[in-house]
Amino acid sequence: MKTPSLLLALTLLGTAGHALADRLDDIKKTGVLRVAAFDSNPPFGFLDAKTHQISGLDVEVAQAIAKKLQVKLELVPTNPANRIPLLVAGKADLVAANFTVTDERKKQVDFSLPYFASGQQFIARKGSLSKPEQLAGLRVGVDKGTTQEIYLREKYSKTTVVAYDDTPLAFTALRNGNVQAISQDGSKLAALLANAPDKAKYELAPFTLTREYQAIGLPKGEARLTKVVNDTLLELEKSGQARKIYDRWFGPSTKAPLPRDFKIGDAV
Amino acid sequence: MTPPSWLGQGWLAPHYLGWLLHGAAMTAALALCVSLAATLLGILLCAAQDSRQRWLRWPARLFCSLHRNTPLLVQVLLWYFGAGGLLPDAAMQWLNTPHQWALPLGFSLGWPPFEWLAAWLALSLYSACFISAELAAGLNTVARGQRLAARALGMTEWQIFRYIVLPQALRVIRQPLLGQYTAVIKNTSLTMAIGVAELSYTSRQVESETLLAFQAFAVATALYLLLVIATQLAGSRHAAEGRIR
Repeated sequence: MKTPSLLLALTLLGTAGHALADRLDDIKKTGVLRVAAFDSNPPFGFLDAKTHQISGLDVEVAQAIAKKLQVKLELVPTNPANRIPLLVAGKADLVAANFTVTDERKKQVDFSLPYFASGQQFIARKGSLSKPEQLAGLRVGVDKGTTQEIYLREKYSKTTVVAYDDTPLAFTALRNGNVQAISQDGSKLAALLANAPDKAKYELAPFTLTREYQAIGLPKGEARLTKVVNDTLLELEKSGQARKIYDRWFGPSTKAPLPRDFKIGDAV
Repeated sequence: MTPPSWLGQGWLAPHYLGWLLHGAAMTAALALCVSLAATLLGILLCAAQDSRQRWLRWPARLFCSLHRNTPLLVQVLLWYFGAGGLLPDAAMQWLNTPHQWALPLGFSLGWPPFEWLAAWLALSLYSACFISAELAAGLNTVARGQRLAARALGMTEWQIFRYIVLPQALRVIRQPLLGQYTAVIKNTSLTMAIGVAELSYTSRQVESETLLAFQAFAVATALYLLLVIATQLAGSRHAAEGRIR
């Protein structure tokens, strides 16, 4: 009885190993890495008006992976709804498109280590809000019907939550003095602040209440490819390249500065 | 107890009904305060428009046509967001921080949040203009001879208005006035745009947390209906008493 089961196990291992090897070997053989990236979601992936090329934070990460594999990078333009189908149908080898890790998505695709994190953040007057404990007793503006509204009401019962129709209206209430802070996803707030005429008076509070992680999406079961991607990401962090890429799009001198409070390899 | 299938996901949990009731109480309180202020201001506006003094008459007419001919939502937003630009920073900060005053017997008086004040002001000014128009219509029904007789008795213009004309006019316009008060109740729903936690606001909150859209808005509708019917009943009982007297 022992021999057949061992044989079976070996056979299974053999086929599995063969399947795992496929994608990485294919990429190396053809010399092309196809990565799905956003073409209209700055600063993650967008069509640069000057160069007519897709560029952005996600694209620079993809370039680093292609460099590590020593192959040519081919970008496949995508949108939020297309990301998983492109990967599942084999039309792209990786997805680098501000792809948030969720349990639901993990059923269909694999994820690398996260290389970007976002979450519920706050805009307040400069110097007025530096830690979550200060939220008690404050009036905070949110968007009606958002997860941010629900989270604040449930976890910060001493905070007065005032809900408005949209984020710009909440920001007007902040500038008007009706609320002392507003709350939304950090990257949205950074973009909002970038366009404010009196942005010098306000800042993004340096803490994040909830966490969402963005990672590279991979086809299921490609262990060798996943390892190469993870190794590349960790090397980017170690060499300081990851910070340079981040600062190029979200650094203090950019249009929408967002403090970097997550490093690749940090515990999730 | 299983809910009927056409209800989809089921009933609202009891604490959500509590939210909605709290919202209804806010709506009732706001509508009451607005109705009181709007009635007083409406009488003044009507008197001013009826005045023989040109410096009283024209500003009052301008004020009314401004408020009657622009959308109420815009006015609500203007008072809420515009006030910050008009008032000094310190005043806005005082208005926006909670204030409590201790009263005897353990009661305390709280200063309402700025959303509430802005809503009260905007709705009162708007409704006062409609109420003044109703009043003016009522005044027109009072026979000219009444005024002449009062003047012959040596009453002043204000005394004539206060003691002779206004009581008769009020009796005529009781029903239309009641209609204005029910309109006030319904108009409070617009103040959810500036974050007043009234009934429409809480029904949206319940909907976004439970995703039970039909249940949340159906309960809100029923509560609005109750408020309006209660107002109508109170008004018509008052009218009946008036007739007997």
